[in-house]
Amino acid sequence: MLTIKAQKRLGGFIRHSWLMLSVFAILFPFLWIALSGFKREIDIAMSRISFAPVWSNYEELLFSKSSTYLTNFLNSVIVSFSATVLCVGIATLAAHSLRRHKWPIFAVSAILIFSMIFNMTPAMTLVGAWHSLFVKVGINNTLFALILVNVVLLLPMALWLMMTFMRDVPEELEEAAAIDGCTPAEIFRKIVLPLVVPGMMATSVIVFVFSWNEFQAALTLTTKATQTVPVAIAKFAQEYEVKHGAMAAAATLSTIPAVMLMLVATRYIVSGLTNGAIK
Amino acid sequence: MARIELRNLKKAYGQVEVVPNMNLSMDHNEFICLVGPSGCGKSTTLRMIAGLEEISGGELLFDGERMNDVQPSKRDIAMVFQNYALYPHMKVRDNLSFGLKNAKMDAAEIDKRVQQAAVMLGLDDLLDRLPKALSGGQRQRVAMGRAVVRHPSVFLFDEPLSNLDAKLRTHMRGEIKKLHKKVESTIVYVTHDQTEAMTMADRIVVLRAGVIEQMGTPQELYDEPANVFVAGFIGSPAMNLVSGVVQVNGDQTHVRLDDGFILPIPRKNGRALNDGQAVVLGLRPDDITPQRAGSDDPNIHTVNGTVVVSEPTGAETYCILNFDGQELMCKSIGREEIVEDAVIPLGFDLSHIKVFDKISEQRIY
Repeated sequence: MLTIKAQKRLGGFIRHSWLMLSVFAILFPFLWIALSGFKREIDIAMSRISFAPVWSNYEELLFSKSSTYLTNFLNSVIVSFSATVLCVGIATLAAHSLRRHKWPIFAVSAILIFSMIFNMTPAMTLVGAWHSLFVKVGINNTLFALILVNVVLLLPMALWLMMTFMRDVPEELEEAAAIDGCTPAEIFRKIVLPLVVPGMMATSVIVFVFSWNEFQAALTLTTKATQTVPVAIAKFAQEYEVKHGAMAAAATLSTIPAVMLMLVATRYIVSGLTNGAIK
Repeated sequence: MARIELRNLKKAYGQVEVVPNMNLSMDHNEFICLVGPSGCGKSTTLRMIAGLEEISGGELLFDGERMNDVQPSKRDIAMVFQNYALYPHMKVRDNLSFGLKNAKMDAAEIDKRVQQAAVMLGLDDLLDRLPKALSGGQRQRVAMGRAVVRHPSVFLFDEPLSNLDAKLRTHMRGEIKKLHKKVESTIVYVTHDQTEAMTMADRIVVLRAGVIEQMGTPQELYDEPANVFVAGFIGSPAMNLVSGVVQVNGDQTHVRLDDGFILPIPRKNGRALNDGQAVVLGLRPDDITPQRAGSDDPNIHTVNGTVVVSEPTGAETYCILNFDGQELMCKSIGREEIVEDAVIPLGFDLSHIKVFDKISEQRIY
């Protein structure tokens, strides 16, 4: 029979072991890819753990005349950044409206359920229609079209996330602000917005990562000049040759914006910003 | 200062009428308490006065001016919410000055008012703190300060003390009364705590299901409750309300309670009662005391009772006594120990007995 102290220590050991295992499961594939970026093709093919690191994959990716990676990277930054700003902005306004304005409950439910169903629809089923549409309105093969597609694809998720963050803002604060002389727009700007910034940052990180990794629509709706990083990475796998090293280097570099955004966002994602508002 | 009038005020959510038809007027500088159990419509009424709730029917007038469609910020009101509703991202100073800044007031005047309110409420050392760094009582005072700085005509309080502990609540009751003296504004105060209403209000309005059951001064409501509901709601501990049947025998009128205990009803009151009439008898614990047992006063009726439960509070003891099977709450004044299971004589002050009709629940006298 274990003592209470021993039981606690065993419990702690199991929990920490599980945590370590989870971290390993997440980090191992990433580390493997990151290391592959410094390997020669032969080292990758032989799955060598011990190898002499080389920069050739990165040099080819960044400095070779045939590489369009930097353009693809810039395209991805423009598309993901614009889509994130638009998506989170629209979702925040929509969530505030759905949460606070006196919509009939069925209307709110209908919008949320529809957005969920839309979110579950495979993007490939819509890409054909979008292509025809963009050709008709003359924006096919443009970054603008890709931004619109990303906004449409990710808005449902952003709306659901922002609804939960908006729910945490006490209604009394808005009422107090109304009595304190704020117009509805001022209530949103001066009271609601500062309180949902952590939620907006968290949503932004998620939307940005999803947008950055969006592949299906980007593959179909872009050409060489407008293609994004995921499409560029995929194109390292050609019919007769797969450039594993360059692919790994490109994949490693592509994580940088998301990591940077995460570092910036965590400064804003502070829990309990509404502490002290009520009670 | 403002005179507030509610004329046939109505609030309905679809088919559900929360406030069916309310008529009430509040004078300049009056302290009115709306009391009642949860769901009685008191907060809804307050929110209609504040402009936070749309009025479904009737009129709301401030100094004779119709307010139904006026924005909350244009009503010259300030409200203290049950949960304080402090802006969590603003320091205390900014919380206090927020309304004044929105009104585009001169910066020097804002500073002066904030300082005045801070001194009045003891917040001067807390001005640069965020709400999360304050205790419950301090938050409550900031919420009051935010209302005070605006110098409104009407203060609206929505159960502002319900989240405080008992000691702090008693302290804040005093603070709010002091505030009322200083600001000379009309105060509408919502609470479910009758003690708060009794101790602070000039007039109390007792609500049930959106209907005014009775309004009057605290003493009027205590001494002359209009019906069983008000009698049971006002007073702590609550009035003993026991049903029985009237027995008229010549000049003598008695009420035989359901458990067999018989109490005489004074002659002057007995006239309106009919033999066999079903009634509810109301006796305040304060009017059943061992100290008055055996008194020569003809209104004092002495009966022996067995102590079932004794609850000493220091200067007085509340106890439940059994009289021929009927249990009643009584009050013993003084520090004398009341021992459980002891048989003691109790003096019933019959002049304060209230009699209600059992069916209509209205007071007969």
